[in-house]
Amino acid sequence: MKNVSIWLCCALLALPAAVRAQDTQAQPPAEAAEAQEPAQDAAETPQSVDQKLEELDQKIRVLDRKIEIDKEAAAEKAKTAGQAVAGKDGFSLRSADGNFTFRLRGYAQFDGRYWVDDEQRPQTETFLLRRVRPIFEGTVYKIFDFRIMPDFGQGQTVLFDAYLEARFNPAFRVRAGKFKPPVGLERLQSATDILFVERALPTNLVPNRDLGVQISGDLAGGAVNYAVGVFNGVADLGNGDADVNNDKDLAARVFFQPFVAGNGPLKNLGFGVGTSQGDQTGTLTATGLPGYRTPGQQTFFSYRSDATAAGTTIADGTRFRLAPQGYFYRGPFGLLAEYTINRQDVRRDQISERLEHKSWQAAGSWVIAGGEPSFRGVTTKKVWDPAAHTYGAFELAARYSELKLDDATFPFFANPASAARSAKSMAVGLNWYFNRNLRLLFDYETTRFEGGAATGDREDEKIFFSRFQIAF
Amino acid sequence: MSHRNLLSASALGLSLLLAGTAQGAGIKLLNASYDPTRELYQDINGAFAKSWKAKTGQDLTIQQSHGGSGKQARSVIDGLEADVVTLALAYDIDAVANSGLIAKNWQTRLPNNSTPYTSTIVFLVRKGNPKKIRDWDDLTRPGVSVITPNPKTSGGARWNYLAAWGYALRKFNNDPAKAKDFVGRIYKNVPILDTGARGSTVTFVERGIGDVLIAWENEAVFAVKGEMGAKGDFQIVAPSISVLAEPPVAVVDKVAAKHKTVQVATAYLQFLYTPEGQEIAARHYYRPRNEAVAAKYAAQFPKVQLFTVDQVFGGWTKAQQAHFADGGVFDQIYGAGR
Repeated sequence: MKNVSIWLCCALLALPAAVRAQDTQAQPPAEAAEAQEPAQDAAETPQSVDQKLEELDQKIRVLDRKIEIDKEAAAEKAKTAGQAVAGKDGFSLRSADGNFTFRLRGYAQFDGRYWVDDEQRPQTETFLLRRVRPIFEGTVYKIFDFRIMPDFGQGQTVLFDAYLEARFNPAFRVRAGKFKPPVGLERLQSATDILFVERALPTNLVPNRDLGVQISGDLAGGAVNYAVGVFNGVADLGNGDADVNNDKDLAARVFFQPFVAGNGPLKNLGFGVGTSQGDQTGTLTATGLPGYRTPGQQTFFSYRSDATAAGTTIADGTRFRLAPQGYFYRGPFGLLAEYTINRQDVRRDQISERLEHKSWQAAGSWVIAGGEPSFRGVTTKKVWDPAAHTYGAFELAARYSELKLDDATFPFFANPASAARSAKSMAVGLNWYFNRNLRLLFDYETTRFEGGAATGDREDEKIFFSRFQIAF
Repeated sequence: MSHRNLLSASALGLSLLLAGTAQGAGIKLLNASYDPTRELYQDINGAFAKSWKAKTGQDLTIQQSHGGSGKQARSVIDGLEADVVTLALAYDIDAVANSGLIAKNWQTRLPNNSTPYTSTIVFLVRKGNPKKIRDWDDLTRPGVSVITPNPKTSGGARWNYLAAWGYALRKFNNDPAKAKDFVGRIYKNVPILDTGARGSTVTFVERGIGDVLIAWENEAVFAVKGEMGAKGDFQIVAPSISVLAEPPVAVVDKVAAKHKTVQVATAYLQFLYTPEGQEIAARHYYRPRNEAVAAKYAAQFPKVQLFTVDQVFGGWTKAQQAHFADGGVFDQIYGAGR
């Protein structure tokens, strides 16, 4: 039995070979040759697989390396390629090294003015485009910034800013061109960030825009900011494009934020003083003297002027402004205050006088929901998105301001029947910040006057303001 | 304020302006160089800054910029404010000179045609030379994967290409058609073209691609010494014939004049010819010009029969136009091989 089993196993093992031999014999020579190839392949299989694996490995490595090289090339190209960016800060072009940039920004303010109790001085209720200002900003050769800002609001075209500034280091910048002289606090605040639709009365006593050269910088890590410059010397509220005499104004401001570097409760405390001084001599056609405006942008004070030497008051001597100022922001609350003294030598005919006008304001704000106030506006914590049940930030505001003209102004240098001796304004407002770019303002402001009418006092100005603002 | 006061104020402003600009002044040089010279110039810069300080008392900072030689030339032409260029071949500096940034006679301003050191082209193979690469013929064999950078962007790659072409001309009795076919077969074996020599070294050494890297001699030594991978993983094979590579240097006149660095930039390049500069070059496996230093380091350089570009191709301008210009021989053979 054992022998039978051995023979059976041998027969089974031999069977496939016998069958293969029979098949081979039955095939023509060519097919037989093909049939022999698998046997040869079988013999070469270990080497072939290694080779193929090696080839495949190399191919994968080559593909990986090509991808790597492509990425390196793309990264290299990105280094040398400029960038075009669109976002909440506007639209910008930037060279790869950042040394050249161009930014298109701007803002527009669509206002409504609604007058109350304006029987004696009827006013027109109106919508108006208060400011429409495209801003072209940029940098060339790394340290030279420029800014050009015209205004197309109220149907006029006026150039507000056009200057070049060289940033040698944070403590030393040189600016030349047309810009805000460093005097009044609220004037220096951007029109997009002011708390109310219109600035308060003290802004009447400081210049708006002037041409000049200014040196400025931040010292002690930003705790001290200084600015000093030489300007043509525009009248109060003035926005000049050329001087009318050879005398120039020197303007300077120092502002302290002693705790700005920390995170303590006084971080957003700032205070300082702005000033300007210069000799100004007016003429009958360019008196060098201003008119002052109400919050409703009505003139409530002007000097006498009838185009004759006997009947026209002109600037004639020193003009000096001093404007202590400050702000404090903490949590949802904000406070801004400034006091402005304006001394002006004037002359009418042969009589000269040094007049001293004074004005001050205090404004408080409370962001009741959704944001945090600062001198640069309210930062919305959650932007307006009804689907997400977020509605931006809401702010309540109140302000009181006064402007008192020197008693010596009347009646010789200004007509008390048309020019008020003082103005006192109170305002309340509600501001709604949809996001960083959009906001709605609703204000009510009433202003009382002393004098300024043929009999008694000028009629109170009571006005509702609305504003829709887009800024980018 | 009167205009007299205005003038005073303006003068004050100007003084402050000048004071501001004067802040942070210091001597800085930028050397725009080609790919594999990083380590060489790190040592050169340190030695020269020390020497300059000792001589003048001035602190000197030398910055380096590296990339494919042709690409670096392009960058300088396009505005990279390099005080000096130390590129892979004269043609690239000629290109900068043609843009007006460097005087046309730049090559005569320093010894040896403004080439303070030379090199040549060798083969780097894997340990044990498994594909048995011995000479240029072996690079044409099917199944041999050859790594070399793109001659369009890399100076080193152009040296590689011309070395192969010079060998082929000699092999085929100056028959350009056969040389073209020969070099074409080499490039048919090139799976990937990096933009610079260092990139190709990375491809071969770090990424493990290919059987042979055609490389600058100093770059091959760099790899063999284990600077980019395990020491001992590679070996150098010197071909029977190769090209005498002459990487030149020049002051970028207009940039140096603008930066007021002409004197220090010139001294920097002259330093390369000093025994100290030549020693540093030799230590980085560049063949020194100085005979004494060359003799001292002779043992580290294999004896290879070398030809110059002038001898075989009639100069770089002709070689460039015939081989590397758009539509030139390289485009024909590499495009056809793909």
